[in-house]
Amino acid sequence: MPAARKAAGFRLSSRQREWIAGYLFVAPDAIGLLIFVGAPMLLSLSLGFFSVSGFGEYSFVGLANYRRMLGDPLFWQSLKVTVFYVVMLVPALYVCGLGLALLIQADTRFNGFVRTLLFMPQTVSLVVVGLVWQVLLIDKIGLLNRLISALGVGGFSWLGDPRLALIMVVVISVWFLMGFYMLIFLGGLQDIPREYYEAAKIDGAGPVASFYRITLPLLRPTSFFVLLVSTVTAVCGSQTFDLVYIMTRGGPANTTSLAIFYVYQQAFLFNEYGYAAAMASVLVVVLMLITVLLFMLTRGGRFTYD
Amino acid sequence: MSDKTKADAPNGAKDRPGPSRRTVLAGGAVAAGATALSFPYVSRGLAAESLKFWQFYAPGGGVATQSKWFEDMAKSWNDSHDVKVELVYVPNNAYMDGTKLPTAFASGAGPDLFIISPGDFLRYYNGGVLLDLTPFIDKAAQDDLFPGVIANRMVDGKIYGLPMEVEPMAMYYSVDAFNEAGLTEKDVPKTWEDLLTVGKKLTTDKRFGVLFETAPGYYQNFTWYPFLWQGGGDIQSKDGKSAFNSPAAAQALKFWQDAVNMGVSPRKVLGGGGWDVVPNLASGYCAMQNVGIWAISQLHENAPNFKYGVFKLPTPPGGKYVTVGGGWAFVANAKGKNPKAAGEFCAWALGSMSPDSIERVVDWCTKAKSDMPPRKSALEKGKEAYSKGFLKVFADDIYPGARAEPRVPPPVYKAISDAIQACQLNGQKPEEAAAAASQQIDAFLAGYKGAPIL
Repeated sequence: MPAARKAAGFRLSSRQREWIAGYLFVAPDAIGLLIFVGAPMLLSLSLGFFSVSGFGEYSFVGLANYRRMLGDPLFWQSLKVTVFYVVMLVPALYVCGLGLALLIQADTRFNGFVRTLLFMPQTVSLVVVGLVWQVLLIDKIGLLNRLISALGVGGFSWLGDPRLALIMVVVISVWFLMGFYMLIFLGGLQDIPREYYEAAKIDGAGPVASFYRITLPLLRPTSFFVLLVSTVTAVCGSQTFDLVYIMTRGGPANTTSLAIFYVYQQAFLFNEYGYAAAMASVLVVVLMLITVLLFMLTRGGRFTYD
Repeated sequence: MSDKTKADAPNGAKDRPGPSRRTVLAGGAVAAGATALSFPYVSRGLAAESLKFWQFYAPGGGVATQSKWFEDMAKSWNDSHDVKVELVYVPNNAYMDGTKLPTAFASGAGPDLFIISPGDFLRYYNGGVLLDLTPFIDKAAQDDLFPGVIANRMVDGKIYGLPMEVEPMAMYYSVDAFNEAGLTEKDVPKTWEDLLTVGKKLTTDKRFGVLFETAPGYYQNFTWYPFLWQGGGDIQSKDGKSAFNSPAAAQALKFWQDAVNMGVSPRKVLGGGGWDVVPNLASGYCAMQNVGIWAISQLHENAPNFKYGVFKLPTPPGGKYVTVGGGWAFVANAKGKNPKAAGEFCAWALGSMSPDSIERVVDWCTKAKSDMPPRKSALEKGKEAYSKGFLKVFADDIYPGARAEPRVPPPVYKAISDAIQACQLNGQKPEEAAAAASQQIDAFLAGYKGAPIL
């Protein structure tokens, strides 16, 4: 039949069908990323070359916003605060996430309960987290001050003292995020075959040697993921902005003014959208460089165990 | 299916159970329409006639009478005008310090009507979105506005905002805390030194003596300005240059620094901030609080049994009493969909000589809130309320020394804010902080082309 022959002409091979199906599966995600991440990133990048009044007026200023950044002490201050925040937060998250995962990796009912408890902060709105911690840490009558006053120490202003405020933001960020990284590490730990530990034990290796010779090396892919994601989270995660916005407003004296918060201030409080976009672009470039560096160091995120 | 429809149905469809294809399609169309209408931009388009009025006095908010005042006003206008006004509530923090209003204007979708404080006036005026309300306000009503109150809403003799209130700052104290410390009304501080001495006596291991705002922001600057002015300081001199590098500025910065260093003032405050009197003063966190006239209604509504007193801001040696009078104003969007109707609404609500308009101002200032009125007629009409209680203290003692809240562009605000924060909480030398801020202000003013700073 000619019609049947014609239809047969359009028949795809199984390889082609698989190829199309693969792209169709990826398409919604890819299109979403392009529309909601790619396009805004490009727009933000181009906005950095304009002076934007915030009331519909745009004028091209070339690199003026970038030159301004170089001479803006508050921008450099915010970068310094961000670097301190990243340097404190990322290792703390790594150690706490891995430590907790090791402590509760055994599949018992009690551990299941503890895992749930540790993950709980993730289910609470960051605004609520910020408000509750603010009350716990308030001067004189906050819970923490009352607890330590029983030990004869006191008088701390955890969020009002420039020497302590950023550290407290880090502590609360760790408290909020560590449950998530604990779960990631638990997944990584469960992928390590038990036989390796048994063999090591027979060879006389203790728990410390097993940790350094088996666990840590075999967790390299997980560690890579955790370090990468926690670095990005530290620079521009939701907790970075929300906690500062709720608890300190960048104070005292700009000591918790993280770069992402300063970008927000310039855009939405000072109507400097072009300048804010330029700063956001710099942050994106820095994060991309860190990501590329991490990928280069790990040969594209691939790990071998020989 | 009924017998009739069964008979009329096309072949093959007669005996099919369930709804027909047409029913399903019709149902689908209705569902799709309802879904589409639920999207804000579609419903907004259909309701394009009404003017959107953004503010933060939502039903269920801190003080019920305030949202009721807004609702009554909108209803009264809507009952007598073709172009309707629709109230849109924005949470307080999102309105004052958030992205809602700026992003709306940046995307060309700003509200037709909104409220602003003097701190934000230049930002919106210089952005060209504030409508000149002068043509809508009778000459008599223009003369009825207190000159000192309307000045910072005017440019080149034209009125761009109609104030609904004046909110002078003062000091509040807890009577119980005074009693506990063996102090009486006679010990109410009159000088800065007194304030710190009395504050020290009131400080315990669970309570601070006196509270000033600690969070950086427009509000903190607003509360600090009187201390700058009392010593003769200012932000800008008459020649248009910065006047901030002055002994008065350094003295005011040092005053707040001393309060923190002596342990008399906290570094962090409770609740929404230093403007929030119930979580700070009424809860016992502090014994005295630097807060505005609005605290009377806050305490009346939320801590009716709390015993307190009010006194005017103390002064420095050789200084002169001054306080700051803030307050919000109705403004209309010059680029809105119906600026004429929006302008008429502002004038009808707060800027007409009709008894309703005057009464509305009186109601807001004496019943919904506890504020001073921005109009002479309203002060006269509400004189009974201002002849008793704490409103009398404000009317007689505190308000007469009020100066309007300055309107400053964001970079000037930020320079002053950084100086306050650096001294109050980070131990910087006040003279150095004042000089650094002054340098930044001068650098900005050199290229500033907007409306005059007041």
